[in-house]
Amino acid sequence: MRIEDDAAVAEDEGIGLRTSRRGFLKGMGLAAGAAALLPAVGNAQEDAHETPGLKELGRGEREITLKINGESRKLKVEPRTTLLEALRVKLDLTGAKEICDRGACGGCTVLVGGKSLASCLLLAMDAQGEDVVTVEGIAKDPRYSNLIDAFCEHDGAQCGYCIPGIVVRSAEFLAATPNPSPDEMRAGLAGNICRCGTYSKIFESMAACSAKGGIK
Amino acid sequence: MSVDNNKAMENRLARPDVRQKVTGAAKFAADMFPKNVVYAKFIRFPFGKGKVETADVEAARKVKGVISVDVNMQADAKYAGHSIGRVVAETRDAIDDAVEALGLKFRFTDPRSRAEDVYQGVPEASPEDLDKLKNIFDQTPVVVEATYTTQVQTHTSLEPHGSMVDHRGEELEAWTSTQAVMGCQEGFENASGLSASKITVHAEYVGGGFGSKFSIGAEGGLATEISKQQGRPCRVVLDRREEHSDGGNRPGSIQYMKIGADKSGKIIGGRVHLMSSVGFGRGRGGVKNPNYYDFGTIVKTEADESLNAGLPAAFRAPGYPQGAFAYESMIDELAAGLRMDPVEVRLKNETSDRRRKQLKMGAELIGWDGRVADGASPGRIKTGYGCGVASWGNGKGKCQADIDVYRNGDLEVRIGIQDIGTGASAVVIDVVAYHLGIDRNRIKGRLGNSNYPPGPGSGGSVTSRLSAPALMDAAESAMKAVRKIVAKEMKVADDEVEYSAGHFNKKGSTQKVAWKDACALLPTEKVTVSGEFNDEFVGNGVSDCAQFAQVEVDTETGIVHVRKVVAVHACGKPVNRLTAENQICGGVIQGISFALFEQRILDRRTGGHVNHDMLYYKIAGSKDVPEIIPVLDVEEGDNGVKSLGEPATIPTSAAIANAVANATGARVRHLPITPARVLAALDSAKGGVA
Repeated sequence: MRIEDDAAVAEDEGIGLRTSRRGFLKGMGLAAGAAALLPAVGNAQEDAHETPGLKELGRGEREITLKINGESRKLKVEPRTTLLEALRVKLDLTGAKEICDRGACGGCTVLVGGKSLASCLLLAMDAQGEDVVTVEGIAKDPRYSNLIDAFCEHDGAQCGYCIPGIVVRSAEFLAATPNPSPDEMRAGLAGNICRCGTYSKIFESMAACSAKGGIK
Repeated sequence: MSVDNNKAMENRLARPDVRQKVTGAAKFAADMFPKNVVYAKFIRFPFGKGKVETADVEAARKVKGVISVDVNMQADAKYAGHSIGRVVAETRDAIDDAVEALGLKFRFTDPRSRAEDVYQGVPEASPEDLDKLKNIFDQTPVVVEATYTTQVQTHTSLEPHGSMVDHRGEELEAWTSTQAVMGCQEGFENASGLSASKITVHAEYVGGGFGSKFSIGAEGGLATEISKQQGRPCRVVLDRREEHSDGGNRPGSIQYMKIGADKSGKIIGGRVHLMSSVGFGRGRGGVKNPNYYDFGTIVKTEADESLNAGLPAAFRAPGYPQGAFAYESMIDELAAGLRMDPVEVRLKNETSDRRRKQLKMGAELIGWDGRVADGASPGRIKTGYGCGVASWGNGKGKCQADIDVYRNGDLEVRIGIQDIGTGASAVVIDVVAYHLGIDRNRIKGRLGNSNYPPGPGSGGSVTSRLSAPALMDAAESAMKAVRKIVAKEMKVADDEVEYSAGHFNKKGSTQKVAWKDACALLPTEKVTVSGEFNDEFVGNGVSDCAQFAQVEVDTETGIVHVRKVVAVHACGKPVNRLTAENQICGGVIQGISFALFEQRILDRRTGGHVNHDMLYYKIAGSKDVPEIIPVLDVEEGDNGVKSLGEPATIPTSAAIANAVANATGARVRHLPITPARVLAALDSAKGGVA
C-alpha cells in the first residue's frame, strides 16, 4: 500500500477488495494443480492460453465429476470454484459451512481421501478422483452412529453452525484416537472454532462416543 | 395449577433440534441457494475515512454475469467497511470479477482510529463534588487510583448477517439470520411496503447473534429491493471481512477510578470516569457499573468518543463485562492495599445475600484455600486465583403462544421466538411437557417463524423467561379445553375435574382418564388454544452469579492458561440442565476469549481493519478451554424460569484478570491480557502495574 501524504491516494492492493480468496486460490490452482487438472479440461475457453509448464484455464464453467459420499456427481464449476462452494451452491450439501473462507475456522471441514480438510482451501477441480465425505455422508454411515448420537445426547451444539465441521473432524480424530485424554481432544479440535463456546459439551460428546464404542 | 407445579422441572434431555444441527440437515439462512437466486453485495470502503477516487463502473457492468453495478462517488466514507456501492450478479464469482474490474482507487484522510488518541481525560469535578471527594478520601486509608482499558470485541457470529429474500410481488418470504424474527417481519414491512400478513420470515436455525442481529440490516433491505426488481430470490450474506467491520462490536472503554476504602475493607466512595470509544456515530458506549457492591458515594462522569470505525451493537450483556473488569480489578487492588483476602472484601461490600452465599460456594469449589499472596506462587509457572460476581434482572414483557391439541394426544406448540443457540427449542417443549405432565416426545415445538404468535427478540436474556409463562398459560388452556370434554363425558361441571401428572380425575373419585385417552374424546381432529405472558407463572428474584478462575502464568513467556473456572449461577428453575450448563460454559468461554485474546485492530494511519478474518482476530479455541464447573444454584423457593445467558459472561474476564495479578503480583489493567502485557507488568517494579 502506497501512502503519500495525509490526503494520500492509496491503491488498495494486498488487503483490499481486489484480491479475494478466490483470486488467490485461482493462482494456486494454476501453480499447484495444473498437471492434475489438465485431463479435466476438454473445452479450453477463449481466454485460456499456455505458458511453459502451465496451462491457464481462464474463466468459464467446465463439467467435472466428483465422488461425494460414495456417489458420483456431475457438476459444472469454474476453475476457481472451491470444493466448499461446489458442495453448497451446486450440490445443495450445505452441512459444510462457509464461515471464515480462509481455512482458519474448520467450519467447512470434509474428509478428502479419509483426511479432514478445509473445503474452502481446495479447488473443486482438484477434488476430482478423491473420495469426498461430507457431514451428510457421515450422518448416513452407520459406522459413525455413536458419534452422531453422542453429540445429540450430550448437547454438543448451541447455535450449531460450527458443529458439522466439528463432527467431521471428530469422526477422523476418534477413528485414529479411540480413547482420547482431555488434552488430546483439545489438540484434536484445535482447527475448529465454536463461537458459542460449546467446547465443554463437545468434549463430553466425544468422550461419550468413545464410551459407546467409538467409530465402528 | 400454580407455579409450584414447575418444581417438577429439570431434565437433561437433548434439545429437539440438535440432530438436525449435528447431521448438517439444518438449513440456516446462509444455506439457502434457490435455483434462480441472484446475488447482491455491498462494495466497502477499505480505510477509516475518505472517498472513492476512481471506479470504472462501465467496465464492471460489462463483466459476464453482472446485472448492475453502482458506486457512490460522492460517498463520504467514515469507517473501513462503510458501504460505497453495490453489485448485483448471477454468481458470486461475477461479483468478485466486477469489483476487480472497477479498479477502485481511494483517497483517504486522517482517521480517528484509536481510543487512546481521542481520550479527553478525566473532567474536573464541580466544587461541590470536590468537597464530597475530599470528605471521602479523608476517611479512607487505602485508595486505588487506576485507569483500566478494554478493547473492541467483534461479535463474530459464525453465520454472518444476511437474508435470502423472495419478493413475489404481492407477498414476500425471507430467510434471515436474526435473533428477532418478529422484529424482522416489521423490518421487511418497511423495506417492501407490504403488510405484515403478506410477509413470512424464517429463522428456524440461526448461527449465533450475541446481540448483533435484531434487524434485517442494510443487507435485508438490499435483498428486498433487488428481489422485487429482478423478480427472483436475492441472497445478500456478509462475508467474514464485512461481518467483522460492519457486523457490530462491543465498544472499547477507558475507565478511570479513584476509590477509597476504610481499614475494615468497606468501600466509602470515590471518583469514576468512563469513556467508551464508539463507531462513527455517537452514543451506544454504555459501560455499566451496576450496584452489585455498595460503592458508597461515587462522583461519576461518562463520555463517548467517536472513532472512524463500525458502529457498536448490543453484545451479550452490553456494557457489563467491560465495567466488571474495571471495578472487580479495583476491588482486588483495594484488597491488596489492605492486605485482605479479596473474597472477604467482596463479602463486606456485597449487596446480596444470595451472592454472598455464591461467593463462599465458588471459593470452596475452586480451592480458594490454596491461594497464596500475590506473586508468592513459587517457580516459573505461577498459579493464581480470582473472582467476580454479576446479576441480571427479570422484568416482565410480552409473549404469546398457540397450542394445537390433537385427538391422538399430541401437541404442536407455535411461538414467535427463535433459538439462536440458547436452547429455546428445548424450553418450548419442556415447559409444556412439565406443565401438563406428559412425555415431551408428544410435543412438536415450532419457533423461528414470523407467522407464529408474537414473541420477544432474544435480547436481554428474555427468551426463556418471557416465553415460559406464555407457554404455561397456553398449556393451562390446553388442559382446560380437554377437561371440558372430559367433564362433559363424566357429566359433571368442569371444576369437578382435577388434572395432575397427565391424568384427569373426578373430584373425590379414583376414576382416572389419561391425557391421551381424554384427547381421543375431542369432537374434532384438533383444538387450538392460546396463551400469553401471565404474571401467575412468573418467577421471583434476580439471576445472581459468582465466578472463580484459577490460572497459570508462565512468567518467562507471559502466556496465561486458564486452568479451571467455577461458575455458580441462579436462574430460577432450570428447565433443561444440559442446555443451561452449555450456556453457562459458553458465557465463560467467551469471557476467557475477551480476557485473553480478542481485539479489533485498526491501522492507526489508514483506519483500515487489520484483522478482519479469523486468523488474526483470535478467538478462544479448544486448547484455551479449561475445566469448567457450571453450578446451577437452585434454592427452595426458587420458581419460574429466569435469565441466564448474559450474566454468564459478565464476571469471567474480571476473575481471570484478578487471578493473573494474584499469580504474578503484577497487575495488567488492560484487556486483552496478552503475553506482552504480562511481561511488561512483570518488568515494571515487582508488584507493579502495566
